[in-house]
Amino acid sequence: MGKQLTFKGASDMPMISISLGDMDWNKTGAWRAQRPFYEDRTPPCSVACPAGNDIVTFIQKITQGDVEGAWNVIKEENPFPGICGRVCFHPCESKCNRGNYDEPIAIHALERFVSDFAFNLNKKIEKIPGVRKGKVAIIGSGPAGMSCAYHLAKLHYEVTVFESSSASGGLLRSGIPSYRLPKDILDREISNIEALGVEIRTGIPLGENLAWDGLKDYQAIFIATGAHQNRRLDIPGEEGKSVFNGLDFLRKINLNQKVKLGEKIAIIGGGNTAIDVARSVIRLRKKAILLYRRSREEMPAFKDEIEEAMEEGVKIRYLVNPIRIQQKEGLKRLECLRMELGEKDESGRRSPVPISRSNFFIEADSVIIAAGEEIDVSFLPKGMEKREGIVLTQRDGSTGIKGVFAGGDLTSNQRTVAHAIGSGKKAALAIDCYLNGKDTEEAIHRILIGEGPSLSIFRHLHPEARPMNPHVVTFEELNMDYFEPSKRLRESKGPVKERVKGFGEVTSTFTEGFALEEAERCFSCGTCNECENCYVFCPDASILKTEDIFSHQVDYDFCKGCGICFSECPRGAISLREEER
Amino acid sequence: MKRVITGNQAVAYGVILSRVDVISAYPITPQTTIVEELSELIASGRLTTRFLKVESEHSAMAALIGASTGGVRCFTATSSHGLAYMHEMLHWASGARLPIVLVNVNRAIGAPWNIWSDQSDSLSQRDTGWIQLYCENNQEVLDTILQAYRIAESVKLPVMVVLDAYVLSHTSEPVEIPTMEEVDAFLPPYCPEYPIDTREPMAFSVITTPEYFLEFRYKIQKAMEQVPEVAKKVDDEFRSRFGRGYGSIERYGRRDAEILLMTSGTVASTSRIVIQKFIEKGVSVAGIKIKRFRPFPSKEIYEEIKGARKLAVIDRNLSAGVGGIFAQELRASLYSREERPQVFGFISGLGGRDITPELIEEAVQYTVEHPQPEEEILWLGLKK
Repeated sequence: MGKQLTFKGASDMPMISISLGDMDWNKTGAWRAQRPFYEDRTPPCSVACPAGNDIVTFIQKITQGDVEGAWNVIKEENPFPGICGRVCFHPCESKCNRGNYDEPIAIHALERFVSDFAFNLNKKIEKIPGVRKGKVAIIGSGPAGMSCAYHLAKLHYEVTVFESSSASGGLLRSGIPSYRLPKDILDREISNIEALGVEIRTGIPLGENLAWDGLKDYQAIFIATGAHQNRRLDIPGEEGKSVFNGLDFLRKINLNQKVKLGEKIAIIGGGNTAIDVARSVIRLRKKAILLYRRSREEMPAFKDEIEEAMEEGVKIRYLVNPIRIQQKEGLKRLECLRMELGEKDESGRRSPVPISRSNFFIEADSVIIAAGEEIDVSFLPKGMEKREGIVLTQRDGSTGIKGVFAGGDLTSNQRTVAHAIGSGKKAALAIDCYLNGKDTEEAIHRILIGEGPSLSIFRHLHPEARPMNPHVVTFEELNMDYFEPSKRLRESKGPVKERVKGFGEVTSTFTEGFALEEAERCFSCGTCNECENCYVFCPDASILKTEDIFSHQVDYDFCKGCGICFSECPRGAISLREEER
Repeated sequence: MKRVITGNQAVAYGVILSRVDVISAYPITPQTTIVEELSELIASGRLTTRFLKVESEHSAMAALIGASTGGVRCFTATSSHGLAYMHEMLHWASGARLPIVLVNVNRAIGAPWNIWSDQSDSLSQRDTGWIQLYCENNQEVLDTILQAYRIAESVKLPVMVVLDAYVLSHTSEPVEIPTMEEVDAFLPPYCPEYPIDTREPMAFSVITTPEYFLEFRYKIQKAMEQVPEVAKKVDDEFRSRFGRGYGSIERYGRRDAEILLMTSGTVASTSRIVIQKFIEKGVSVAGIKIKRFRPFPSKEIYEEIKGARKLAVIDRNLSAGVGGIFAQELRASLYSREERPQVFGFISGLGGRDITPELIEEAVQYTVEHPQPEEEILWLGLKK
């Protein structure tokens, strides 16, 4: 350490003002009025992901060429990247900050790429050794049940999944046609969970072969039986011959069972099931006409799905409501009313209002009703509260019965695969807390992503992980000087002509090159990706590279708080606060 | 070897012979052919000097400050607005005691636009702590560069070598070019006072409190005060090696002259003919050429003008509100002397207008005829 020199006068001074030792004694950091510091802040994509995926981190891994690492990151939160990458409605992309600049990152396509790439590398999830902490029963092997099973197994529980059908997967298997989700993808991701030691017992419906008493051995139970009952239209003729319900139809298609259909099929409904039905009908070489009582704006089905259905020849008639199904010489005749849009209803959509005396007829050979699903409560034990078509639970999934938790479509009207996965994960955490006598609310609060409701179980398992400020990074907080506009890459789709010939998958997985290119578009909101802007710009050479929890650190002995690192960080991963005096 | 070359080429030869390590220059106007010549030599591989092409004259000098601090011999050339743009860094170079040599091609500064010869650019940098040497012909240009490095590296101050635009810069004259061996014997390699060693990092020109700043400025003044002696030694050695010397000033004409004419740059060259003409007519006159403007050669001038009654000064520059800068400096240097001549301050040739023998004659004639100047500023050739 040098020291400040003193001189008598010009005669003993050097020729120029020069440090004859080092300048370490002069801690110019004392001039600082504000203090920059490295801090991860929450990216909007992760907050929007119901499954709580750490999207920024897995995309960073892709950009580093570490696809296996990306797979490891995803499977911390979600055992189903191959499935989510294909069928999730990707709310993450709707919230992606890049959408304010050019186009959002194709996160779903990257997730799918990671899953397929890891599978091709023969990557498998391995059983975690160690003593099992307790036994948990899960009713239902859909995404909620299997997600819960997966995380419980990772938390060292012995898990048995009871499935009423002959095959596992729930709606993933019976409700989603294979042109969207090939069965081998489902099989491989379920077998990954089995590899962790989870036992799946199929063909055991609750209430029939499985009595509540039979579950006494289990210290906790998670019920995720889904919503499999078709909502009825309650119109005359609904019970007639050649009138099917959507989920039954899809189940038969998915199990390769024969369905006897005429040539022209009317499908009633506007949700994803209705679209799945219509596109399956097209693949059976029939004509599909979809009847929806509101306009396209209000349709709950995903936009891409509607577009693909129309490409494939599905006709959609909007503002039409069937009021009667008539039979006439083998032909069906639907008496319909024309509708108009009225005031907004509680779902926020404009409600359909019938136009009086606008009756007209649509002819069809068969009718498939896909107007929504309801839960079956007949087998549920007493003591579980139900309201407005769902089973009521606490935030942690607990029901009125001690040790019994519920989740998935059974307990929510947000019936998506991602929500089911998130719900199963939360239940696993809640069960772990319940069995260990810990405060679940507090545990959930600690691992919320942003303000929630999504949560990170990785943070539950790794409390030592880099902390993350719950503040969600906004587009305005990013520095666009460091990004150039680029096109979002899209997964290639087969030509319509080929697509409609069968149930083969419509879209293809990204190539490695495409995945890298798309991943590099990610702003990496709130998370340092070592772009080194701060290091390059710091006029005081006060950015130190470390091997610590953060790759960089501010040298507060010399940082004068100019804030250049803060403003030049492209991604809002550096924060600035006033220096306390 | 004698070659017919322009002033700019003479500069280039001087730089080559001085074994300069780093040249930094802004290559676009107001740059001259000086760095064009040099950069071509470097590009062709015939010169191993490192050439830094920078985005401004400010950066050109800043880059040299870095290079010179690093301990190597540096050069840049500029002119007019380019020199003005360098202003801040000129101060820094002298304050940091860096022996950089800069060639300035003397040109007017706008507005209005003008690209011709005028001393306003270099003289407006007179307070930056640089040694300034003005040249009369292309031979002197080359020789002065060789001397400049010797002086600069001896007193640790930067040197500005100045030549008139077009009259020298673009005009060809026969120039004797010394050999590399001859120059090597005269100009040894540069040894920096504080060599840089990455194993022992140092901070240069660090913030200096009021406690010591005055003392550093005092040291610069002391270094400037050494220059006359050092420059004389260097010039004497140069003369003995090459047969040519220039002094800081040069007097020509009658020894007993009561009327003197003081000029600088190429005007001195024209003045020699005029003075000769007056002597032939029987008028007792003499001329003084000022080569070194900074540090101002007060003592040398006083020695040469003893006995003169009148001293005419032709300034190719104007410090508006005062007059010619050479006249101003001269008056200031004579003030403390008991015996001092009457100073006649002429302004002429601004913005490249030719200072013809007729105009110089007019100035001398006026000085002969008037016991004292009728006005503080006497305008030569002014169209009223």
